[in-house]
Amino acid sequence: MSPRSQADVLRGSLDLLVLKTLSLEPTHGWGIGMRIQQMSKGALDVNQGSLYPALQRLETNGLITSEWGTTDNGRRARYYRLTAAGRRELGQELESWRQFAAGLEAVLRAT
Amino acid sequence: MRVIHAARARLALLFGRRADDRMDAEIAFHIEMETARLVREEGLGVHEAARRARVAFGGVQQHKETLRDGRGLSWLGGLSLDFKLGARMLVKYPGLTIVAVLGMSVAVAIGAVSFSAIYSVLDAKLPFDAADRIVALKSQDVNTGESDRTQLYDFETWREALPAVQELSAYRTVDRNLITRDRRYESVIVVEMTASGFRVPRVPPLMGRYFDASDEARGAPPVVVIGYDVWQTRFTGSANVIGQTVWLDASAYTIIGVMPQGFAFPINNRVWTPLQLRASTFTHDNAPLVKVFGRLAPGATLSDAQRQLSTISQRLTADYPTTHQHLRPRVVPYTQLLLDSPDLVWLFHLAQLLISMLLVVIGTNVAVLVYARTASRAGEIAVRIALGASRNRVVAQLFVEALVLSTLAAAAGLAIAHVSLQQLSALLSPVAEQVPFWLHFGITPGVVVYVAGLAVLGAAVIGVVPALKATRSRVHANLQLLGSAGAAVRIGRSWTVMVVAQVAVAVVGIPIGTVALRGIRVTVEPRFAASQFIVARLFMDDVGQQPGDSTAAARFVNLRSELARRLAAEPGVTRVVFSSGIPGAESDARYEVEGSTIDGKREAPTNRGFRTNAVEPAFFDAFDIPILMGRGFTAGDASSSSTPVIVNQSFADSYLAGTNPLGRRVRAFKSGQGDGTQWFPWQTIVGVVPDFPALSDTSVAVAPRLYWPLQPNDAHAVAINVRVAGKSLGGMVGRLRELTLAVSPSLRLARLQTFIDNMNDAMAPTQLGLTAVLLVVLSVLFLSTAGMYALMSLMVTRRRREIGIRAALGAGARQVIMSVLARAAAQIGIGVGVGVFVLFLIVAGPHGGKVSLPEFYDLLAVVGLIVVVGLFAAVGPAWRAMQIQPTEALKAE
Repeated sequence: MSPRSQADVLRGSLDLLVLKTLSLEPTHGWGIGMRIQQMSKGALDVNQGSLYPALQRLETNGLITSEWGTTDNGRRARYYRLTAAGRRELGQELESWRQFAAGLEAVLRAT
Repeated sequence: MRVIHAARARLALLFGRRADDRMDAEIAFHIEMETARLVREEGLGVHEAARRARVAFGGVQQHKETLRDGRGLSWLGGLSLDFKLGARMLVKYPGLTIVAVLGMSVAVAIGAVSFSAIYSVLDAKLPFDAADRIVALKSQDVNTGESDRTQLYDFETWREALPAVQELSAYRTVDRNLITRDRRYESVIVVEMTASGFRVPRVPPLMGRYFDASDEARGAPPVVVIGYDVWQTRFTGSANVIGQTVWLDASAYTIIGVMPQGFAFPINNRVWTPLQLRASTFTHDNAPLVKVFGRLAPGATLSDAQRQLSTISQRLTADYPTTHQHLRPRVVPYTQLLLDSPDLVWLFHLAQLLISMLLVVIGTNVAVLVYARTASRAGEIAVRIALGASRNRVVAQLFVEALVLSTLAAAAGLAIAHVSLQQLSALLSPVAEQVPFWLHFGITPGVVVYVAGLAVLGAAVIGVVPALKATRSRVHANLQLLGSAGAAVRIGRSWTVMVVAQVAVAVVGIPIGTVALRGIRVTVEPRFAASQFIVARLFMDDVGQQPGDSTAAARFVNLRSELARRLAAEPGVTRVVFSSGIPGAESDARYEVEGSTIDGKREAPTNRGFRTNAVEPAFFDAFDIPILMGRGFTAGDASSSSTPVIVNQSFADSYLAGTNPLGRRVRAFKSGQGDGTQWFPWQTIVGVVPDFPALSDTSVAVAPRLYWPLQPNDAHAVAINVRVAGKSLGGMVGRLRELTLAVSPSLRLARLQTFIDNMNDAMAPTQLGLTAVLLVVLSVLFLSTAGMYALMSLMVTRRRREIGIRAALGAGARQVIMSVLARAAAQIGIGVGVGVFVLFLIVAGPHGGKVSLPEFYDLLAVVGLIVVVGLFAAVGPAWRAMQIQPTEALKAE
């Protein structure tokens, strides 16, 4: 995947990725980026800086919430956590993503 | 829950500095973590790792900007643009601006004045140390509703048995002439107060001392404490004032203290003497009434005091059931002294709410105009929505535009309120001593906050409703029609109803307005000699006097005869006559008219309130009032057993219409009600005089009046009327004062001024009220006329294409114009019909009278005006439509 097309795909689905990551456990911004990279086995390399506007947007929409915490090695960091509304939103987004992907797949398989 | 999370997050982001700190900390943490990872996993040097981490993060500044934009600051940026746009709209549509500001400012001003007056009463604060601990104790008579029936006896009992209130004090007020050594005198309200009364406000005297217990003792040397103003005006601020003598009526008092500037406790007073009354010298049912106040003891609460007071009250009721069984004593904060019941507070709040709603009524009218403006901008709004603006964003913009308009109106309203409050204070100045000193009618910060609230309410009414209607969808349709200006405007049935309603409001409103307008004029008919008169109320010192005391009455008659004799000897004085009331300010009395009919039916023998005046035989002659029928009074009438009466023209017209008034009989109400009503003996009408003082043809001035002879021995206070020829009335005012004092210091004058000034004063509250009513009616009228014009123009503009097509299909100019006018005329016609019907309901309703001829002409003029304005609104655009070429109209299709 070329860097440009990857960015396009990510722009639409960054919120979904963040919500999914936070559904596993609360973590800080850097941790979210790392998690996405690990889970996608390096296929998705999120532009690290663009993560923060997405986090702010999700927070002001009440889907996630944040508070200061301490990392394992004693560093102060802002930890993000999914709210109940965020969990519901994740379910809906996943569903519509799956429908979209299935549709796309069907078109691409057609001969 | 989601809303709460979102709100909390937004709120945190609103504080720019904290949000910036958080952002910096997060970015720094991120880069450090990434650097550490690169060092750990890829074995890079720290510097190289940090560089790579920063590159991977991307443009830090750019991301920060994105974060800042997302914080709602951009929204604020848009808001300031909306304000600028709103200001520009004011200039771009000057007609709308002027109409809306004029109309709404009246509503704001009325709201602000009432807010200032009501909350200066409700939120009053005394300027004293720990003033919230000062309380008043009052005994309401639940049977008669009288608000304070506290007797001296109660006060003395309470003082012994009410530990929750310290320094329990009492006072009463008496009217006295304050006379200084230079023989100048003025009428003042003197407060007779217990010595403890001065200790309650904790204000030390400016000079000398205030009372102590020895001054209260019977037979103690008479002493007086004066206020700062008296010290300045009567003693020119002399340092030697302590020890000097002043006279209160005929008694001499020694000044022992001067209170500091602004001190006017307990109500609005400046002369204090010790209360030397003892309950033991009175029987229980004739002890004088007093006002009681004190300070809550340390640690005691209002309810402690109330509990103790109720206990004492139960005991007193058991001991003296006849006088006390209906009394309910209450302890209230001192500034709530004037509020008879806690319900009154709620009534005040309710009244203020209703007055505030006036803005909604007027705002609805302005909303019509704003809708017309918004509708003409449908294309612009459609483009904005098409470019991605949300509906909320567009509504917010229109709201801000409306807010600019309503803020302007609120500022104008505040200015009007300021002037009106000054008028109100001036109006109260003759009774300044009875207006509590802690009330200040003015533009306080509270009033400004209230007016700001009104501005927002106004903006919501005039901005949001039209905005929601204008943005309701139809973006697509409006975009399509963007090319043809005004064609996109939709005017549904609701707006047609609005036109009809506006016309109806105007038809109902104007006649009511003109009636109010007539009521405001005060011009005394020139044929009476009113402008040559000075008038005053004349009293005699009433200390120790019992009702029906014939020696005191005889003394008063002698004194006033002596005054009349001395006045008559003055150069320029041509007549001096006495009456029971000042003409135009007579008191009301209930009378029955024998055989009175209304609309040909005999009136039930109920009683009616008439203005009545007892006059000397020379009264009518002195004022140049001719006797229209019958005769005037003669010297023998006063002592005649069948007391004759004289009625005025209004009386004869209203109650004896079509019959000869002479010889008809009336009788005065005595007591009782229904079949058990007691009446005084019948009196026979012997004469008819014109309406006097006829001001103009107002309902205020033209009241049915009854005159009867002034009885020498029943008048405790009289009005003195002095006619002066060829001399300045002002000079005579001063001379009358001197002569009165010279005759006896126990004679007092009140409301001494020229007759014309007296009339104006008597009319002033009515004038102020009517001015407010008229302003409201006029602004509603003004707005409804403007709204009608705007809607008519808009409606005709919308039909431009239709008219063009008709022309293309061969319709003649006359046909086209007629079709437009017919529609306008139909709407106006329905509106007029509804308006006249409503007016008829009001006039013919239980509280209305008959429609007199001038009102009919008013109505005719109003209908004419509405038709002209409405048709003018329709003809203009129709004429413009006629100029359109059919080809152009078809092209637009």
